[in-house]
Amino acid sequence: MTSNKREKSLIVIQLSGGNDYLNTVVPYGNGKYYDNRSVVNIPQNKVIPINEQLGFNPSMGPVKALWDEGKVAVINGIGYENPNRSHFRSMDIWHTAEPETIGKEGWLGRAIRDMDPQGDNVLTGVNFGRGLPRALAVPGVSVASVGDLETYGLFPDVQDEELRMFTLEAFSRMYGNTAGRDPVMELLGRTGQDALLGADILRTAPAKYSSSIEYAPDSLAQNLKSISQVFHANLGARVLYTQHGPFDTHSGELASHAKLWDEVAGAIGCLMDDLKEHGTEEDATILVFSEFGRRIKDNGSGSDHGSGGVAFMIGGAVSGGLYGEYPSLVEAEQIEGDLRSNNDFRSVYAEILEDWLGLDAPSIVNGQFEKHGILKS
Amino acid sequence: MSTQTRSPGIALDYVKTIGIVNNGFNGRGFANPYDIVVGKDERIFVLNRCDPARAAAIRIGICTMDEDYLGEFGKGNGTGDGQFVWAVAMALDSQERLHITDEHSNRVTIYSLSGEYLSHWGKSGSGDGELNGPAGIAIDSADNVFVVDQHNSRIQKFTSDGKFIANWGSLGSGDGQFNLPWGAAVDSDDNVYVADWRNDRIQKFTNDGQFLAAYGSSGEGEGQFRRPTSVAIDTDGFIYVADWGNERVQVFGSDGAFQLLLRGEATISKWGEDYLASNPEEQAEREVSNLKPELPAHLNTPYHISSQTEPYFWGPVSVSLDGRGRLYVTETNRHRFQVYQKH
Amino acid sequence: MINNETALMAHLLRRAGFGANRTELEQYLAMGYEGAVEALLHPSDPNNMPDDLIRRYHVEQSELRDLAGSAAYWMYRMISTSCPMEEKTALFWHGLFATGYAKLNQARSLLNQVDMFRHSGLGSYEDLLVELSKDPAMIVWLDNNENHGTAINENFGRELLELFSMGIGNYSEEDIKECSRAFTGWTLGNAEYMAIRAAKDSIWPYGRIAWHFDYREEDHDDGEKTFLGETGRFNGEDIIRIIVKQESTARFVATRLFQFFAADVISEAGEKAVQAMMEAYFSSGYQIREMMRTLFLSDYFKSEEARFARVKGPVEMVVGAIRMAGSYQNPALGIEKVSNTMLYMGQGLLQPPTVEGWHEGSEWIDSGALVERVNFAAKELSDVSSPGVRSIIDRLAATANQGVLDPSDLADGCLDLLGPIQVSDETRSVLVEYASRNGDLDLSSHQPGDESEQRVGNMLRLVAATREYQLA
Repeated sequence: MTSNKREKSLIVIQLSGGNDYLNTVVPYGNGKYYDNRSVVNIPQNKVIPINEQLGFNPSMGPVKALWDEGKVAVINGIGYENPNRSHFRSMDIWHTAEPETIGKEGWLGRAIRDMDPQGDNVLTGVNFGRGLPRALAVPGVSVASVGDLETYGLFPDVQDEELRMFTLEAFSRMYGNTAGRDPVMELLGRTGQDALLGADILRTAPAKYSSSIEYAPDSLAQNLKSISQVFHANLGARVLYTQHGPFDTHSGELASHAKLWDEVAGAIGCLMDDLKEHGTEEDATILVFSEFGRRIKDNGSGSDHGSGGVAFMIGGAVSGGLYGEYPSLVEAEQIEGDLRSNNDFRSVYAEILEDWLGLDAPSIVNGQFEKHGILKS
Repeated sequence: MSTQTRSPGIALDYVKTIGIVNNGFNGRGFANPYDIVVGKDERIFVLNRCDPARAAAIRIGICTMDEDYLGEFGKGNGTGDGQFVWAVAMALDSQERLHITDEHSNRVTIYSLSGEYLSHWGKSGSGDGELNGPAGIAIDSADNVFVVDQHNSRIQKFTSDGKFIANWGSLGSGDGQFNLPWGAAVDSDDNVYVADWRNDRIQKFTNDGQFLAAYGSSGEGEGQFRRPTSVAIDTDGFIYVADWGNERVQVFGSDGAFQLLLRGEATISKWGEDYLASNPEEQAEREVSNLKPELPAHLNTPYHISSQTEPYFWGPVSVSLDGRGRLYVTETNRHRFQVYQKH
Repeated sequence: MINNETALMAHLLRRAGFGANRTELEQYLAMGYEGAVEALLHPSDPNNMPDDLIRRYHVEQSELRDLAGSAAYWMYRMISTSCPMEEKTALFWHGLFATGYAKLNQARSLLNQVDMFRHSGLGSYEDLLVELSKDPAMIVWLDNNENHGTAINENFGRELLELFSMGIGNYSEEDIKECSRAFTGWTLGNAEYMAIRAAKDSIWPYGRIAWHFDYREEDHDDGEKTFLGETGRFNGEDIIRIIVKQESTARFVATRLFQFFAADVISEAGEKAVQAMMEAYFSSGYQIREMMRTLFLSDYFKSEEARFARVKGPVEMVVGAIRMAGSYQNPALGIEKVSNTMLYMGQGLLQPPTVEGWHEGSEWIDSGALVERVNFAAKELSDVSSPGVRSIIDRLAATANQGVLDPSDLADGCLDLLGPIQVSDETRSVLVEYASRNGDLDLSSHQPGDESEQRVGNMLRLVAATREYQLA
């Protein structure tokens, strides 16, 4: 059913706030887990087992179904040295691939620039949500930030369609001529035109889309639906980004974490079904990550910021399985009460950049990193 | 500097602090609490105003004096039935139904103490019975409901399901006039007291709105207020005032004579202890820290001092009493309440 | 034909403030240009939205525990101030000293730092640097709480020289070390407890505990130091005294002030203004106010070259549009959404992305940001129920011939009252053509919200969407 050979796309789902690793991939076979998590734990009989030691959170049914099809790679113990427990700093580290110094360019922004150095396609990278995440930010690289695909564009608050058309037309003419102007006016002109063009093109995506899949009403599912619409409209979008949260479960964790994963797993399940229906399962890979995991010991109602987390890669081209090592819960091996990571997140980035997007990884992630071998050759 | 002054008329002993900040997820703790009522069975009901980022968690939390968290209820943020936008204050009627004001939605919402939404009433406007920013609420022994109608500068009297009876007040600083009033309370004679917020005073009225007395003036001295937000009167007639702008609580005799003031002396609550036990490095540093430090000269307003001195009241927005002589001071910026015992 | 005095005053107010509506402009015009400069440089009572009102309704702004409420609190000040230069100055230093929430998790301390910029930002640079070195937010931001007599941490000492004064090439690694030694002991009260809470973003048990400066004498290395060729048992103040004497410091301060208040790019003519500012720096004893007076009164600043020579930063864009529209005059729900909008445009208050602050000028413009900018200003200024927009409608009606405006009048009138804003002939012709869609506009009997008023709103929307509106 696959038609044209299309370029590979990366879909990123960022879990914001610090997803609790221990309650996502649960070490239910390890007594120390229950020792440390006397309240905030998943009982053995509730876990969805992957093997004798580990299981998924009970809300992750759709992910388990994909796991059974061999499409889910679980990267255990992912992180970086000298873990930082500040949301902003740690997320910045993941976004810029710079754990040591302050990075200034987003790793995906660099990727987009390398894929489209002349900026020929303003939709090479699209963010679903308002405000561009640092991961996609590089000066001069155009990335649309779509809050709502149906209404994305200029003057969304103008209800009268005719008035809006006239206003857009006037805008287009005002931003139209750039010849012989000073550099700033030229930049504004080009950028305005890009924005109009991007909006015009993006607006065609929902109309071109047809699918039997029904996405849930929550924001992540709707964003993934928009991602699917844009992806399947063949607009050349190679990087599609969105985020969900808040995963910062300092209290009342069991209920909120369950609900969040219900949404995440459900949305991913729908998206994968959608890809399958379109025959594009092998053309997109999903990366799911969070800025850190949470502390080993709970605080009686939730868990606090920790380190060392889990990431997922999901897709038809993924070699499903467990990668990395599940961190030890033995006290001597912890970092100040936190899980010790055992593989650098940049390994995953490098693999995606080289083996999926066909780019030169070292220049983007500032170094050489050993790959896990998650993407089928 | 002592946080409490003693006087022959009344003594208030600090008992404990209950609370911990809750980021908005279900579970123990509070999120910018704005008022407390205590039920006949001594369960403590805490109104969490919450901030917009955590508005989905707007709810009423329930706990006991032994710091057991019993749960919460509410339907979250919004204008639908049982929902709140800017919840302000609560009062119990004789059936122990809980009446809660919302100054944004201009309504009073009624819940049972078991958490069941019952009804709401209230219409925006300035006509009789219409509301513009209902803040404080108090219910007398005949189940008359007094609502502080802040932007209409008046007090309105209703039946317990919201039928208009009477109102009084206008904008100004004279007797019986108000300027953005906030809290209200009734005493055992069914007189009505109002925290006349921007006039920096408390006013006392008969049940029909006849002016009886005004207490206080602007300032930081004893018997002076900066933006008092709440008032409560015990069965002996002592008047308790939440002197919000001065970050303190003052107590007066029934004649209005100053008795004592409280600055707050919070200690670690049980939920706080649980947290510190799971975070030993933080606990270790806290133990060797001075939680009442000397502050540089420019940080000398009560607000700034309280922001840096954890035991002091910070944002004491409400004073509540129970049937056992206990005073509850709700601190919105500290997500807790301090309990004092009168004897 | 744009009146030159008015255009110049509007230019001054876009730079020393967030722009001005016609009423404000007329008030400043009555003072004359020099008078206006003096008034702006001597902020008195800013007459801000009262704190008690803000805190009564916005519990998050009473507590200032998180970013969203704290940024919104600063927004209220910028929106309501009658001393815009005070807020602009604070914004300038906030961008230069770029202390961010990311590491501190302490919004209140950041706002205290901003407050320090308000009252010390136009005074002596020497005093400002001393206050900055004692500012607890800065101390934690650059790890000076980890700078001990027995084990120095050079982060603050280095950045003080590299980013806050002379710049690379004007001092040695030795100087950095000696500088850092001088600042040992400059820490905050309960430093260790506060540091661990910052690192963990701890709000438990009872919310945040604010910070204050503490000098630990026993931790201070008071030995002899040699810094930039001078020797002595220097403490922090002594180092700063030496730093501010340097020409490279003068150039640094003058350049940064110029780029923020005058033009993104320094031309040859601009360079002359920079030099004049450097002279003022020395002759006045390092007074920022003197440098700013020199700049505002300079030929360069008043020249055509300086007009619209800056790209508005997101804060200027948003606050400017709100002040013009006259909205958010009272505490209202939704203010945090507005401050979030600035974040979506690329400038989150209290969260500069790195120690280098924001990259300004044309780097503010990317397609996502441009869409947000245009949409925000367009929506704000087309709302005919807002007091500022109503005022524009009234003025247009009053000055029109029997209340009737032809398309040129409408376009020119809106361009005038929103600025005056100078646009190219091409832009203007598009605006006029847009206006002529519906022929002449009769405002003589306009009623709130009616068709004729909406037409004004539509024109204002289009003006707000022009390229030229993006510039300050």
